[in-house]
Amino acid sequence: MIEVRGLRKRYGRQVALESVDFEVPRGEIFGFIGPNGAGKTTTIRILATLVTADAGSASIGEISVADDPQGVRRLIGYMPDFFGVYDRLTAQEYLEFYAACHDVPRHRRARVARELLDLVDLADRSEAQVDTLSRGMKQRLCLARTLVHDPQVLLLDEPASGLDPRARYEMRELIKELRRMGKTILVSSHILPELEELCTWVGFIDRGRMVEVGPVEDVRNRVLTGRRLRVELVDDDEVKLLSARDRIADRKGVIAVEVVEGALEVAVEEGFPDQELLAELISAGVAVRSFAPITGDLSEAFLRLTAVPEQR
Amino acid sequence: MTWVDRLVRAFTNPLILKDGISRMRTWRAPFVITLYLGLLGLFSYTIFVLATLGDRQAGSAQVGGIVFAALALIQLSLVSLFAPALAAGAITGERERRTFDMLLVSRVSPAGIVWGKLVASVAFMLLLILAALPLFAAVFLFGGIDFGQFLATQLLTVTTAISLGATSLFISAVFGRTLTSTVVAYGIAFFAMVGTLIIGELLSIAINLRSGGTGGNDVHPLLFVNPFYAMYQLLEQPNGAPMHLGRLFQLLFLAGGSPAQIGPLVEPWVATVLLQIVITALALFGAVQLIQGWRPVVRPTSEPEAEPSPGGEAP
Repeated sequence: MIEVRGLRKRYGRQVALESVDFEVPRGEIFGFIGPNGAGKTTTIRILATLVTADAGSASIGEISVADDPQGVRRLIGYMPDFFGVYDRLTAQEYLEFYAACHDVPRHRRARVARELLDLVDLADRSEAQVDTLSRGMKQRLCLARTLVHDPQVLLLDEPASGLDPRARYEMRELIKELRRMGKTILVSSHILPELEELCTWVGFIDRGRMVEVGPVEDVRNRVLTGRRLRVELVDDDEVKLLSARDRIADRKGVIAVEVVEGALEVAVEEGFPDQELLAELISAGVAVRSFAPITGDLSEAFLRLTAVPEQR
Repeated sequence: MTWVDRLVRAFTNPLILKDGISRMRTWRAPFVITLYLGLLGLFSYTIFVLATLGDRQAGSAQVGGIVFAALALIQLSLVSLFAPALAAGAITGERERRTFDMLLVSRVSPAGIVWGKLVASVAFMLLLILAALPLFAAVFLFGGIDFGQFLATQLLTVTTAISLGATSLFISAVFGRTLTSTVVAYGIAFFAMVGTLIIGELLSIAINLRSGGTGGNDVHPLLFVNPFYAMYQLLEQPNGAPMHLGRLFQLLFLAGGSPAQIGPLVEPWVATVLLQIVITALALFGAVQLIQGWRPVVRPTSEPEAEPSPGGEAP
């Protein structure tokens, strides 16, 4: 549904995008992940037809962003990372205004606005002036605004930034609901836990380059090779922890052992017999309280991929 | 799409309604209307009192003419004062509010944005002009006012409002901040109202000195840029003071010699109106081009470095 090939963009001497390639299949939630200044906003603004790329191509629904921006605008709903609202308009009027801007027929505008307010749980605030709404409500209203013309693709740039945990949760649920409605969603963030449970696809971008793209599980498996185990002792005395560490360190198949927050974290090779290590510890008189594999997450994958060479 | 559809679409531009609602919902709208009518009424009454004061034996028609002239000039002054304030923040306001990107990705074209903003800001000035009509109607009771002359003064006031609005809108597309665009728009309006009068008068003196007084009271066409000069001419010479277009170009380049009798005859105020229409068209075209490029020529200085912020492409 979204296809980006060899995208490059410079602002003067500053390189914003070096080489960006990815695609997002129809109906997926694509988490566009990268630190501040990595090139997320520039990529999204190119897709939203607001910025022209220096090289490369981008298309949405097989329509080229550069060749037919009007055609692309019909397909997309864009939510910028920073946005304002018009004061002195009610939430209902705000949505009706944008519906008019998107050529929604006059007789349908009021109904569309009511339905969207209902969707984002703001039906009871329809007559409230937009500038009196809380930040979370404004974010939800802005998300509703992106939907006034029923677009197939949503480009959401940091939609949950600045929200409290409750509002973040509501935003996440809303995005999931939009996926159930058949929308293809590209959502950017530099806060990984925010996207962890939301996305079906991810793309990591760092310093203007895509470093990894694919379905979440595939990326996890590709990036997080090897396994890690967390071993907690009944007594987290440091001497005992160090003694246990030394015992484990020389064992075949163990890559590294370190003491992390009062427990041992053991990096092991694929196929390492965990149960044998546990049996060995117990037979050596080490009082083990818990012994479990550590599940790799997106944060870890991202940190590994974007670490500068000397840190890897 | 037929021309009727285009016309309907032009006047149902969503920005017109949105800006209209936003403007009329504040206390400022009724305050400005009250202030405008109050000042207009106060000045007119003062002129009326002065015209009938003491041993002046002015007839009713003469008083009517004096008060009407004063009313027309004061209205033009007030419109010139309000126009930049109403239009100079039209585009910068969208940028500062960070709503501009959301307009750009909608189906409203750059021309639609400029048109909507112009109509929204000029509509309020037209409301002020309309609201003052009862004052003019009262002056008609005295007599001595030609209806054609009245229509011409109103037309000149409206075209002045539109051309100042369009120029301010262009300035608003050039700059990134409302404060800057407002200051520059007022600077340009001041030059159009006062600067052209001074320079035009000096050039007119130069023309008359070069012709050795044989050309009569020739004026340099720069004065035609000035709506106050046009209004003064309109009020002072109701029967008109037409000039051949050829003579107008002759004077533009300070050329001496006998007056050229080439081209159609043009009234000074008509030349002003035509010039204002050209300025309006150029300003709107320029504003559309700037919006199509999506970048203000002079950008705000507080934009983030790493990635562009909404409202502009380049840092």
